[in-house]
Amino acid sequence: MEIRPILLSLKHNKAIAILIIIQVALTLGVLSMSILMTMGTLKEWNLPSGIPHENIISVEPEFYDNSIDVRQSVIDDIERIKQLDGVIDITPVSEKPFAPQQVVSVYLESDEEAQAFQTNIFDSNVAGPRVLDLKLISGRFFTENEVLFGSANELKQPTSVVMISEQMAEALFNDGPAVGKTLWLEKGAKPASIIGVYSNFMNSEQLNRQGQSYRTVLRPQVTWANNVDPNYLIRVEPGLAPSMLDTISNVFYKTPGRYLNRVEVLTRTQKRMYDGRGSRALIFLVISAVLVLITAFGMSGLVSFLVTQRKKQIGTRRALGASKWHVVRYFLLENAIVTFIGLVIGMLISLFLVLDITQNSGTDFLEVGYIFATAFFLLVVNLVAVYLPARRAANIAPAIVTRSA
Amino acid sequence: MFSYNLQLAIKSLKDRPSLTLLMVAAIAIGLGLYMTVLTMATLSENVPLSYKSKNLYLIQLDNREVDAQEVDLQARMIDFTYKDTMNLMALDTSAKAQTFAWSTLGILNVEDQNIHPLRSRLAATTNDFFTMFDTPFLYGGYWSKEEDQNGASVIVLSKATNEYLFGGIDSVGKQLRIDIRVVTVVGVLDYWYLSQKFYDRSYSAARPDQAFLPSSFAFESDLPRNARFDCWSTETNSRQFRNSNLEQLQNSECAWITYWAEIEGESNLEDYKSTVNQYIESQKAFGRFPREVAKMNDYYTNINDQISYENGRNGMITYLAIVAYMFFAVCLVNAVSILLAKFMRRSKEVSLRRALGAKKWVIMYQHLLEVIIIGFMGGVVGVIVTYFGLQGMMRISLYSSDYTIMARDLLPYYQLNWAMIATAFLVAICSTIIVALYPIWRICNVSPASQLKAQ
Repeated sequence: MEIRPILLSLKHNKAIAILIIIQVALTLGVLSMSILMTMGTLKEWNLPSGIPHENIISVEPEFYDNSIDVRQSVIDDIERIKQLDGVIDITPVSEKPFAPQQVVSVYLESDEEAQAFQTNIFDSNVAGPRVLDLKLISGRFFTENEVLFGSANELKQPTSVVMISEQMAEALFNDGPAVGKTLWLEKGAKPASIIGVYSNFMNSEQLNRQGQSYRTVLRPQVTWANNVDPNYLIRVEPGLAPSMLDTISNVFYKTPGRYLNRVEVLTRTQKRMYDGRGSRALIFLVISAVLVLITAFGMSGLVSFLVTQRKKQIGTRRALGASKWHVVRYFLLENAIVTFIGLVIGMLISLFLVLDITQNSGTDFLEVGYIFATAFFLLVVNLVAVYLPARRAANIAPAIVTRSA
Repeated sequence: MFSYNLQLAIKSLKDRPSLTLLMVAAIAIGLGLYMTVLTMATLSENVPLSYKSKNLYLIQLDNREVDAQEVDLQARMIDFTYKDTMNLMALDTSAKAQTFAWSTLGILNVEDQNIHPLRSRLAATTNDFFTMFDTPFLYGGYWSKEEDQNGASVIVLSKATNEYLFGGIDSVGKQLRIDIRVVTVVGVLDYWYLSQKFYDRSYSAARPDQAFLPSSFAFESDLPRNARFDCWSTETNSRQFRNSNLEQLQNSECAWITYWAEIEGESNLEDYKSTVNQYIESQKAFGRFPREVAKMNDYYTNINDQISYENGRNGMITYLAIVAYMFFAVCLVNAVSILLAKFMRRSKEVSLRRALGAKKWVIMYQHLLEVIIIGFMGGVVGVIVTYFGLQGMMRISLYSSDYTIMARDLLPYYQLNWAMIATAFLVAICSTIIVALYPIWRICNVSPASQLKAQ
């Protein structure tokens, strides 16, 4: 191998080598920082939702006229929506998948020091599991007469039964049976017994971040208070959801004194959950891609300059019996050595930046594996960028030595 | 001499067009990103009402308990209680005008059932708000002092709200409802751009209030208080005040109203401070303001000072800026190597010229000219890249707000202006010259005739 001559020639051509090193180091710094931030923010991007969210429409009505009879309007709403073509089922809910407002704690014991389990509680009527298309894992779904229906003042007693998701059951009871057990939804309140376990569906961004994406409790209850009216989830036939938004919002607007915050397909709710993180990741990735291109082009241009400059030496080597591959190898090796030094410095820069950001933001982005992978990727890109002009060098005829000089 | 060198420079640029192109592209893209971030940062850090911002003071009163924690930053200091707001408004001070504001929410609706109701961010304030903050009016005007005192049911709409509810006509005198309370439109604002909504201390961007109404009316109607309550002594659950127990809130030691005074000149400010201090002393008789008065003088902050504090806190732009600077650096390093390659190819020609008597500075002059042309071209393309970069950023910002922000409200934060374009060219040319220093030094030091002997 010609490592010694390469080092000697690099010593001769210090300026260019240093430039390449700086460029590679900075590129690695930007690239690995972008990739680490992207990976850190998008960890949960591809988790399945567990529900046919593209066929579910959510409606968030709100009465600004407090004289309206909410009980009657809930009955009317359900009646009217069910009559629409394409609607499979509708349920009033307190929270919706992807966007519940409140993370709450539930307990397995009633005493003060009981361990708290974070979750989201979803209220719905008996149609809830059908709308969300939940599968029964064990136990049973709740029945019509188990559902409490009334304003917050009217409901004196909390629900006596609840259902929990598979992941919730796992968190609470490990592998043991969940059905028949007791659950405290509030400290000191009356507990509820678990009557069934259903298949997982996605909860909120807050829990998502903690790897608890499927912890949910389903409570058979429809209730409302001043300024807090029931929302609705409506499942429609596949493919119809986007076209039914207007029809559905018109039905809701038939009741005067009401405002609709949002009428949307749950896909949009899901999108919103990732919006901030997604767009940030997008910006950084686009920037990184452009940067890699620029570095590759720069490297290519530089090597083709070197090739022109060394025409005669290459010809001499060829005349002395070096094969074409030897010439290409020389350039590849030279570049690999320089790039490698750049990558080592770049890794230090990346580590420094990531640690700095981690300290400032409190989120831990650092995954050394990604930095190594990025470095390797850059090395490959550089070698490809060098290979093309180097092949041209290999085609220099040995006879060039005999000319002019 | 100049034209000869210019000719040489242009000839050299045309010589290897791919290298020239690569270099212009490297500078333009690096500059584009850099300027995109710089423009975004500059525009979002603009001081609103800059022509009078130094006279507009936010006043904060420290009515907390003796053992309350020291506040190290003005921004963390609490605002006004209802009591102090009313008392201070009634005092005769050296301020040119005083006002206060708090945020509320309401659903605006009109009789026409085809126009769906509009959930709105509302500001409850007084009539001096409009003169102090120079709001532009499209139709009508603001309400009067008497209407402030009577709690008149009047409203001033923003331009967008007027367009939504009334189709953009002159709606002065028309009636609409906030929830179920009927109010009459007295004025419609023209498009009112504030780079940061300072008056409620949210410093939010692109989310203007949709209507303004007298605070007295808002209290009478018990509209919800969309505020943070800093409560002292007895109060524990302050969130309840958002929707209920208004009377208790008004008598409490909860601070939640932002208080503003327009004060011209140092001496007026001193007078104002002493009036306020006297007021505080007088309140001490009722057992209020247990803390020392002397420390309070730091809590007269004009808009300039507030904004400069807020500006250091935009995380996203800070990250982007780090990346953009490094990106630009990579592009410049790239340009150095390309330039080096380009110049060194000409060693022979230069050594011939030197041998024939050309001075070093002539060679330098020629190459400098070439570099400046490259820098200029990089500037032109860079400005175009910046334009598209800003457009892209705006789209992303719309997307990430889930289209709840209107494009028109966002536009001012992503608009290229002449100052920015000039900066872009300056940066382009300066940076290319810096980039070219080493290659030019190398080419100038080619010794005469040294490259000729092989031929």
